[in-house]
Amino acid sequence: MSSSNVWTRSRARMKLFPELLAQCSGEAAAYGKCVASTTTGKQELTKNMCVKEFEALKSCFQSAVIFFYKKVKS
Amino acid sequence: MSLTVKSLRALRCLWRGWRCLSSQGGAMNVFDRSMKRRQKQWASSLLDSDKYDYIRDEVGSRLADRVYDVSRTFPLALDVGCGKSHIAEHLSKDIVERLFLTDISDSSLIHQVLKPDCVFIGAMVGSETLYELRCSLQLAELEREGGFAPHISPYTAVTDLGNLLGQAGFKMLTVDIDEVQVHYPGMLEVMSDLQGMGESNCAWNRKSLLHRDTILAAAAIYKEMYGNEDGSVPATFQILYMIGWKPHESQAKPAKRGSANVSFADLSKISKLQTDHQKTNEKP
Repeated sequence: MSSSNVWTRSRARMKLFPELLAQCSGEAAAYGKCVASTTTGKQELTKNMCVKEFEALKSCFQSAVIFFYKKVKS
Repeated sequence: MSLTVKSLRALRCLWRGWRCLSSQGGAMNVFDRSMKRRQKQWASSLLDSDKYDYIRDEVGSRLADRVYDVSRTFPLALDVGCGKSHIAEHLSKDIVERLFLTDISDSSLIHQVLKPDCVFIGAMVGSETLYELRCSLQLAELEREGGFAPHISPYTAVTDLGNLLGQAGFKMLTVDIDEVQVHYPGMLEVMSDLQGMGESNCAWNRKSLLHRDTILAAAAIYKEMYGNEDGSVPATFQILYMIGWKPHESQAKPAKRGSANVSFADLSKISKLQTDHQKTNEKP
């Protein structure tokens, strides 16, 4: 890549996404199951219906990011 | 949307003499064609752009198959939306003698260019394409943001294709559906491959922002709802192939009303008719 601009940097960050998400497969599956259950049930999906599972997923993802950058630095 | 953008777009329409203000032909302005041109040019400038050609190669070879199925030689053919000429590499000189290739060209060219009693063979993506991605994004946006915006372009339904071709003046239509399912490691790979193909969303009604939380949520939902046992996720591409002929006197026309000499009521006797026919053939 000849130049480093905001697009190349953000694209490089997004490339890490799958690897980091793979470390949170349990939380991701739990969140996915929560949302999928609303599609079959009678109640419609509303905002923050699965917020607990999502917060667990997000904190797992954020700690994976911190761990990755710590590893890269050292 | 600000006033300046709206007025710029109206100016562009007037300047091109385009049909978006008049209702001739009922054409709808759904896609931002200049954006699509920029996306395709960016995609072709990538160093590894042939990594993203697999869908187009597959559709190109299946379309060339259909060209061979039409038992005719074509002295001249026009390929609209050729991309990297995925069809041309499968055609041979005995079937198509001369081939012109164009991309993002004025589609009204087809009718002026096509001679009577000549065929139009096309391939488009159908309504079931990328339904997994569409549903995952929709559910994620609903749960995370409380509402959702379309992130996938509107696709043609099979039922509409017949009407579209008929309105364009083609007769003897044939439409068939092919589904290609490609497996990816995850949702982000699907999206980056679509971007690499130059197929990012360019509809006017697209939302220009996708929140990080929504991406995370959608990736989790995609894997959970549609994932395979080995951890990969499928993405469906539904391709609609259509064949239409420009009208000509030599083509079969629907029969005149009242000219029928067999009744539908005789349908129930068709098995009896078949056995009678067999008996007469078996007699030595």
